[in-house]
Amino acid sequence: MSPLLQVNDLRVEFDTYGGTVQAVRGVSFSLDKGKTLAIVGESGCGKSVTVQSIMGLIPMPPGRITSGTAMLDGVDVIAEKKIDGKDIRGRLVGMIFQDPMTSLNPTMTIGDQIAETLQVHQGMSHRAAFSRAIELIDMTRIPEAAKRARQYPFEFSGGMLQRSMIAMSLACEPLILVADEPTTALDVTIQAQILDLMGDLQRERGMAIILITHDLGVVARMADEVLVMYAGEVVEKGGVDDVFYRSAHPYTLGLKAAMPSNRDDSVQELTPIDGSPPDLFAPPAGCGYFARCPYAMQACEHNHPESFDLHADHFARCWLHHEDCDVDAADVFRKISESP
Amino acid sequence: MLLYTVKRLIQGIVTVWFIATATFFAMHGVPGDPLMNDKAVKPEIRANLEARYGLDKPIHMQYWIYLKNMASGDFGISFTQQNREVNDIIREHFKVSATLGILAIVFAALGGILWGALTALYRNRAPDIVIMFLVILGISVPGFVFAALGQLSVVEINDWLGFTLFPVAGWGTVQHMIVPSMVLGLGTMAFLTRLMRSSMLEIANSDFIRTARSKGLPVTRILRKHQLRNAILPVITVLGPSIAAITTGGFVVELVFAIPGLGRYFVQAVQQSDYTVIMGTTVFYGAFLVFMVIVVDVIYGFVDPRVRLE
Repeated sequence: MSPLLQVNDLRVEFDTYGGTVQAVRGVSFSLDKGKTLAIVGESGCGKSVTVQSIMGLIPMPPGRITSGTAMLDGVDVIAEKKIDGKDIRGRLVGMIFQDPMTSLNPTMTIGDQIAETLQVHQGMSHRAAFSRAIELIDMTRIPEAAKRARQYPFEFSGGMLQRSMIAMSLACEPLILVADEPTTALDVTIQAQILDLMGDLQRERGMAIILITHDLGVVARMADEVLVMYAGEVVEKGGVDDVFYRSAHPYTLGLKAAMPSNRDDSVQELTPIDGSPPDLFAPPAGCGYFARCPYAMQACEHNHPESFDLHADHFARCWLHHEDCDVDAADVFRKISESP
Repeated sequence: MLLYTVKRLIQGIVTVWFIATATFFAMHGVPGDPLMNDKAVKPEIRANLEARYGLDKPIHMQYWIYLKNMASGDFGISFTQQNREVNDIIREHFKVSATLGILAIVFAALGGILWGALTALYRNRAPDIVIMFLVILGISVPGFVFAALGQLSVVEINDWLGFTLFPVAGWGTVQHMIVPSMVLGLGTMAFLTRLMRSSMLEIANSDFIRTARSKGLPVTRILRKHQLRNAILPVITVLGPSIAAITTGGFVVELVFAIPGLGRYFVQAVQQSDYTVIMGTTVFYGAFLVFMVIVVDVIYGFVDPRVRLE
């Protein structure tokens, strides 16, 4: 089965006063129907830019997509932005954002904002679209949907606004829902509710989700596949179990070590990753993680790591996996993974 | 919404009372009185006149009478213009000033919103640079210069056309109104253009515009339904104070274009210490401004739902 979305060698640059930032440097991935792909990585690693480039949301200028294709339904949406002469956004791909408080128009009712998508893409009358909007609000488990639809964003709480955003993004029954840190701005109990809602709606509708987050807890809960990004590149990709339990890149290990745990027996402090990401004005010739990597070797400084397939659908961009490497990579990663 | 309007109106009445009181005591605090202009008035005549205008009574009595008359809409008779009631002066000349002022504010608001939106859309390109240069000119050059320049251009246009398209001065027809109201509104328009431009640019980068784009809405719809409406809010906010600026600017424009507005009487009355005319026109202007600000607030409530329900 061919994948729903296939992204190949995406490269995005931004012109700034300080020079050209290479925000995304050759990202490729694919997404299957009904699956959840999580993109993880620290701030500034290119997660959001990747999906926003595919969605055509990068301001150009200063942004520039220098190469890459994103095939959706046989059409390169980066070049075309349209399928069958209609915008894919809101119709085939829905999107929700990090801060629901500012992501909705403050001077328009929630119902109108949801209805708008239906009016534009499905040519519905305002009346029909509005009553459909009420159903959608109800679907996201907001009580008194009919009354709520006539209210404005300032009358909603953060969690309800994110539910409304979900209702809005799903209005046209898209194939893909892109969620850019959907729970970062919400408190923990609301986070759980929103994730549950997204999971339930995914099962009902069979849509695929691209979930951008830096919360590994969310990844473990939601994802089928995980893409670990660092300095504009994919450093590891694999199934959620592979990436979590058979991590094959030192950066993934670093992320795991930096994650807080609430186990009783854990007395250990968080281990931050020392240093900071490389300068993307002039990305290093070798591995981007070289300066911070505890297992760095001489070869890593000047040679850009190839991607090594470990087994089916699991690869990592790290020289430790090279056959000439003195250290037995499998051994290193197993040992680290097993240590508490 | 109705409750909000009523509340604002009551606040407005209090404000007007405050203006009236302040004007009354300020006028009486100024040395001299309206009768001093006349040369060598016999004491008896002076006493008669004082009795007629109520100036012989203690000041708190005068204040009380003044308030009572004002509440019933009577501003009294002029000291310097024989047998003219202040009410008549206002009635005859205010509509001229108000027409001029309202035309100017409409011109300024529409122009400001239009040019501001345009410059934001053409940011850092030729139309933006040209208009923003003119805007700086509009803000920094005083109104009377524009008034004179306006008249000069009117003369040139009429000469070139060979007939009188716009009269140089006077009042009466629509052609009379266009040039003075444009001159009067120019400074405010320039200011509003700047405001609208920055507001548009700010909104263009906001999260909800990104959301609108992620919904696949056409660019024109995003502009119309999402960007403009939100960008206009700060413009409406400053529209109230702008009305005050335009009204005071109106005195100069009325003078230059020989428009029979209230402004001329106002200035004249101050020079002659004509108590009743000063107080009448001040209170009337004050009430008008307060009313316009309330109108602006109510309009704001219609545009921004967050204000409406408070």
